[in-house]
Amino acid sequence: MDSDDDFMSAVSSEDDILPDDSDNDDLSGAEDFDFDDEPDPDLGMSKDIGRKRVAYDISFKVYQPADIEKQQDDLINEVNMILNISKEEAAILLRHFRWNKERLIEDYMDAPPQVLEAAGLAQESASLPRLEVQPGFVCDICCEEGPGLASFAIKCGHRYCVDCYRHYLSQKIKEEGEAARIQCPSDGCDLIVDARSLDLLVTPELKERYHELLNRTYVEDKDTLKWCPAPDCQNAIECGVKKKDLDKVVPTVSCLCAHRFCFGCILSDHQPAPCELVKKWLKKCADDSETANWISANTKECPKCNSTIEKNGGCNHMTCRKCKHEFCWMCMGLWSEHGTSWYSCNRFEEKSGTEARDAQAKSRVSLERYLHYYNRYANHEQSARLDKDIYTKTEKKMVQLQKESGMSWIEVQYLNSASQALQTCRQTLMWTYAFAFYLARNNLTEIFEDNQKDLEMAVEGLSEMFEKPVTELADPKLKVEIMDKTSYCNKRRIILLDDTAQNLADGRWTFNVELTGSAPASGGPSNRR
Amino acid sequence: MALCQNRLQEERKQWRKDHPFGFFARPQKNAQGILDLKVWECGIPGKEKTIWEGGLFKMTVTFPDEYPTKPPKCKFVPPLFHPNVYPSGTVCLSILNEEEAWKPAITIKQILLGVQDLLNDPNPESPAQAEAYNLFKKDRVEYERRIKRTVRENAAP
Repeated sequence: MDSDDDFMSAVSSEDDILPDDSDNDDLSGAEDFDFDDEPDPDLGMSKDIGRKRVAYDISFKVYQPADIEKQQDDLINEVNMILNISKEEAAILLRHFRWNKERLIEDYMDAPPQVLEAAGLAQESASLPRLEVQPGFVCDICCEEGPGLASFAIKCGHRYCVDCYRHYLSQKIKEEGEAARIQCPSDGCDLIVDARSLDLLVTPELKERYHELLNRTYVEDKDTLKWCPAPDCQNAIECGVKKKDLDKVVPTVSCLCAHRFCFGCILSDHQPAPCELVKKWLKKCADDSETANWISANTKECPKCNSTIEKNGGCNHMTCRKCKHEFCWMCMGLWSEHGTSWYSCNRFEEKSGTEARDAQAKSRVSLERYLHYYNRYANHEQSARLDKDIYTKTEKKMVQLQKESGMSWIEVQYLNSASQALQTCRQTLMWTYAFAFYLARNNLTEIFEDNQKDLEMAVEGLSEMFEKPVTELADPKLKVEIMDKTSYCNKRRIILLDDTAQNLADGRWTFNVELTGSAPASGGPSNRR
Repeated sequence: MALCQNRLQEERKQWRKDHPFGFFARPQKNAQGILDLKVWECGIPGKEKTIWEGGLFKMTVTFPDEYPTKPPKCKFVPPLFHPNVYPSGTVCLSILNEEEAWKPAITIKQILLGVQDLLNDPNPESPAQAEAYNLFKKDRVEYERRIKRTVRENAAP
């Protein structure tokens, strides 16, 4: 027990030093664990989690704004050198090819004029863009003319006065958020206004916005890059998971800003449920939850056509508006069988009434099943929403603890890692309920529910300890317990996620809804354990 | 605003100097009898050697304050039987769409010629009214019969 404790403490103190990266630690830790346990992955069919790699771990990279710009510049410079075209043109071509350098170079080598035209570039490489005053010039947009009217044209030669050009560009940038594909203002001219021409014409403020938008298109054009959705975060994340794989994997990534989200759908971390189920679930919740509660409490269904009926007054003789079925509200039986005892239903044992009530109960079961999962989901969601609160509370607690028990800063960090474990585990738990709602029952769900129960119990236990008053927290025995529980929670979470992800990757879950694009889950041996 | 007025005045000048045969385009008079440059009454003739030949279709062109940054709105009065004309009469055409192919250098002449082209060359990719679109897709004979009727009802003087 002692040595066990030591081991646990060592793990959690490692987390302490890097609170922000606790998650990455989890992942790499799990990976190690895997490799150590499983030297011969292909033959180790008997093991639960021993596979080539942790199934839910996906590699990703975080880029900061400077990195993004550098990547663009590197690509532009490379194309600029290989194809011997100006940097502005290289940039336009790259954007046209959605930053696929190889394809650009290949296509360009084959037929330069066609590629240039398709990308909106004129063929002959002319001199630097500049403003000109031409005698006899009339602007086709504002119809101004006169000596000294400065005008501008890109390589197509469609010439407009500087004011109109400026106005046009600022409209495109400011109002329409356009940057990479601003065309010449002339009708039907597809030539793209390049960055250097633009810099010459617009105000510094607009120029900045323009380059910001250009950066954005770089990330948006590449399928492997996505912006971190956290407010005010300017980082982008690179991850190789493709859209078609989303039924096999839940690609959760975490940004430098500590925000964890799903690379597939940009929603915050929803492991273990795959994106499609998450979408279905959220839609169902938005449509249903409160309504479902109310329906369950206040209505019954017509025994014949199942229309939902609210009784808002009157006697027990109901006539369904839809199918005209007449029945008794009390016993749900046929009204015609009520004989002379009309208006005072005492026919509890009659057959038709029992049958109707059975059918009623059956249709209620599906509603209640949903509410079962929804309530648990909502409970964890609410707890997750209180995260911020917990975090500030934790900080206060740590300061207080330092004061009262004389512990050092590093010694109270265990509270921080406990609070983080609570948050991530709750997030996971929350989605296990949405996931479970769509699972068809089989042996695998049994194991899944056991895992879920283990994690939930551990989390509630930790939560309880965590809420204890500071005077008790100072007890070194409780500290050890909390640290143990923290690392236990993290471990249970990994085990649960690994199990679900592995089965997802192998297509072994059976869902009670259609997942588009997923292989039939029932094919092949259903249980290889 | 000044840009809008300037440009429209110049458009008017250019149109009077020269415009395609069979077309007309003039600013409307408002209630006080003053020319309102921002609303024009236009007429578009059906092209020769098409089923539209012989018709003259009246269209109101309304220019926004942001013109020529933003495109004018073109509306057939009365609404026209055509796959790309909304039941309200508004024309659905790429060059009239700010998000699509509108460019500030497009002139009234180009717009009217563009709409004339559209008459006999509807774009089935962006239907605007169900009736004309369905007939165009499913019953070309009836479609052409309807158009001939429309042409008779809007015969050029």
